[in-house]
Amino acid sequence: MSNLVGIVLVSHSHELAHGLADLASQVAGAEVRVEPAGGGPDGSLGTSGDAVREAIARADSGQGVVVLADLGSSILTVRHLLEGKTNGHIRLVDAPFVEGAVAAAVMSSAGQSLEDVAKAAEEARGASKF
Amino acid sequence: MKTALRFRSQLTVAANGKAANAKSILAVLALGATGGTALRLSAEGDDASDALQALAGCVSGLIE
Repeated sequence: MSNLVGIVLVSHSHELAHGLADLASQVAGAEVRVEPAGGGPDGSLGTSGDAVREAIARADSGQGVVVLADLGSSILTVRHLLEGKTNGHIRLVDAPFVEGAVAAAVMSSAGQSLEDVAKAAEEARGASKF
Repeated sequence: MKTALRFRSQLTVAANGKAANAKSILAVLALGATGGTALRLSAEGDDASDALQALAGCVSGLIE
């Protein structure tokens, strides 16, 4: 499917990013591009600007990309990468990593706009688990 | 939930004594409904009747 908002998951851990991408895809369906960018360049814990850039490129089908990051410096990595790109097409959201990813992926799968997908991720902060 | 988003009405799904906005995946997941759980669907709005029919069609096709 080429007309859905893409999702990028940036984590310090390769396994965390991939596992969450699997989970979000399982809930939302395979048509949404959920791309993991986890771990440092050498496979250790860390983040890699190159990995994030590549994940964004894979996720982007023209409708925009929502980027979620796990903690601390992963945010800085994304911000650094997006500096100067202010057209709003790639959106870093302030959202809980797991709930935000699932909510965003499902909203995207329903064909919702970048604005609504980003909002769903950020509103996940207020959702109770039980 | 994808079905629910197509309608303007406010849609609620209730199970296990809790109610959730059918348009919020996290709220629906938090119901903890598993296979065999009884769901109560309700709708409020100008397309409520169509919405209920569509939602009922969705969930009745679920096996687990």
